Amino acid sequence: MNTNASEIVRVDNVRKVYSDNGVPVDALRGINMTVLPGDFSVIAGPSGSGKTTLLNLIGTLDKPTEGAVYIDGEDVASKTRRQLADIRLRKIGFVFQAYNLNPVLSALENVEFTMMLRGIDAAERKRKSLALLEELGIGELANKRPNEMSGGQQQRVAIARAISNDPRLVLADEPTANLDSDTAVKLLELMEKLNHEDRITFVFSSHDPQVIGRAHRLLILKDGQIVDDKVNV
Amino acid sequence: MLSLIAWRNILRNKRRSFILILSIMVGVIALVLTDAFSIGMMQQMLTNQIGTDAGYIQIHSKGYHDDPTLKNSIENTAPVRAALSHDSTTVSFSERLRVFGLISSASNSSGVSIVGIVPREEERITTVHKYIVKGTYLTDKPDDIIISTATAEKLKVGIGDKVVIMASRIGGSVGAEACRVVGLFETFDSGFDQTHVYIPLETARKMLGAAGRVSEFVVNPIDPKQTDSISRQLRSRLPSDMEVLTYKQMLPLLVMQIQLYDQMIYIFYAIIAIALIFGIINTMLMAVMERTHEFGVDMAIGMSNKRIVTMILTEAFYLGAVGTVVGLAISLAIDIPLSHSGWNLAAFSQSLKSVGIGTKIYPVVGASTVLNAAIIIPIATVIGAIYPAMRAIKLQPVEAIRAS
Ligand SMILES: Nc1ncnc2c1ncn2[C@@H]1O[C@H](COP(=O)(O)OP(=O)(O)OP(=O)(O)O)[C@@H](O)[C@H]1O
Ligand SMILES: [Mg+2]
Repeated sequence: MNTNASEIVRVDNVRKVYSDNGVPVDALRGINMTVLPGDFSVIAGPSGSGKTTLLNLIGTLDKPTEGAVYIDGEDVASKTRRQLADIRLRKIGFVFQAYNLNPVLSALENVEFTMMLRGIDAAERKRKSLALLEELGIGELANKRPNEMSGGQQQRVAIARAISNDPRLVLADEPTANLDSDTAVKLLELMEKLNHEDRITFVFSSHDPQVIGRAHRLLILKDGQIVDDKVNV
Repeated sequence: MLSLIAWRNILRNKRRSFILILSIMVGVIALVLTDAFSIGMMQQMLTNQIGTDAGYIQIHSKGYHDDPTLKNSIENTAPVRAALSHDSTTVSFSERLRVFGLISSASNSSGVSIVGIVPREEERITTVHKYIVKGTYLTDKPDDIIISTATAEKLKVGIGDKVVIMASRIGGSVGAEACRVVGLFETFDSGFDQTHVYIPLETARKMLGAAGRVSEFVVNPIDPKQTDSISRQLRSRLPSDMEVLTYKQMLPLLVMQIQLYDQMIYIFYAIIAIALIFGIINTMLMAVMERTHEFGVDMAIGMSNKRIVTMILTEAFYLGAVGTVVGLAISLAIDIPLSHSGWNLAAFSQSLKSVGIGTKIYPVVGASTVLNAAIIIPIATVIGAIYPAMRAIKLQPVEAIRAS
């Protein structure tokens, strides 16, 4: 398979069939797409259209039934579980709808955690994590636990965690769905800024018009197929 | 940082962690107490036997040990005395003439070991004089005899009463002597009590036609640890027709029992460890399954299986370590005072007496007991966490994240 050297992700004719108690469910039906450095892409579509399924495949959390997913030109299907964990650790940051911070760790420790997994020494990771929290405007929350923070604050910590290892790509599955619209806008502005200034690549899934409105590239998903692919909307 | 997370996770469900630590503590305490009491009991049985009768070392004529009759007693005691005189500062000794015979009163009779002793020597070697419950120990009068309260009851005699002892003399005829009961003893060993009576050595010699003879020299090192070295020295100094035996050879059953126990305790350790392992599997599995969603997120952000396993095993190890430390502290707090005061088992005194222990058990808390518990229990806890950890890393990240 020919892959462009600069592509971060290439999704090639991907089908994903789930089995719902023995009944096959076609979640994705022949998806082709790429993610390029600096992208700020949104995958939009109604509920059940396959957004989460697609992001999970790009994020190497799952494997396609047919077709292939390449990360930096490497076929995900050929990797072991351990290699995939390492790819996720070094190349992919995740932001979830439900924030999913570690409840026993403070904001600072949540960010440090991924750096620790990469083997960065304690002093260095503390310094970098604090700087990141400052940059995202939540420096004063460093020692708070997730249950002491608002949703917007938690999602900022989640973003800090996602970008802490300088990933090639951040995947965000409906990151604003649990937030009120003001908070959502601020969070989006923050991510736009990270995309602009730090050239961090984002791929979102969303049906939030505020998210869709900011997309540099919009992919519309319907019944497991991409029905529209617009650049620079 | 994994250890920090492990600690926080332990503190997260305090009730469950507390119950788990409590069960680990109970395991440790059960282990240490059982071990300490059993070792104490064994050692007591041994020192009791050594103390009432056997002593640490005995010197006989060759053959006496296998056939303890008068004809196998030592005729010429001079070489033995000479050998013992070398060690006069490190040992004390007594000489006995011992024969199996009959003691009778007007109403009954009983088969017993008749032991001729030199009271002043014997007092330094054995403890029987401490167990006189009525009357006195042997005095200088040749017709003195001391018997146990059990024998006295059987013969229906008391202090001052006359009894007759009888035994085969050295030539084969029967010797008899009339004696007066001057003291009654009662030790912790009912079997011993029923079968031993004591008379002065010279009376025994006269009755048995065994002038100058000694069945056994009982030799106690001042420091019991020197038993083996002193017995070796004695063996080299004595003529070849003498045998030197230590308590290990004289009480082989008891020594074997102690060795056997040393092995058996590992079975007990294994039982405790297995019970603990199942408890840990159960609880840790619950803890792991509750955190399915979290493990999914951990996997998504790139945590390797190895680290997830390490984190879970670390949690288990901390639980085990805390339980062990607290459990050991409690065990020692129970055991150490008891090792001085003894644990009074008067309620079971009859059955304890029949095995020669006495009414009190003094637990022995050895370094090996503490060490065994300190090693076995935390390891068992970690072993119990292996299966739950394996379950955690079998989770599929996508499904784990979907779980809530
Ligand atoms: N593990 C699964 N087993 C069976 N079917 C599944 C599974 N995950 C998703 N599906 C099905 O696959 C289809 C796509 O689901 P997916 O979650 O990707 O949609 P989505 O676009 O993210 O929806 P939403 O907006 O509700 O999050 C749906 O029909 C869903 O029911
Ligand atoms: Mg979804």
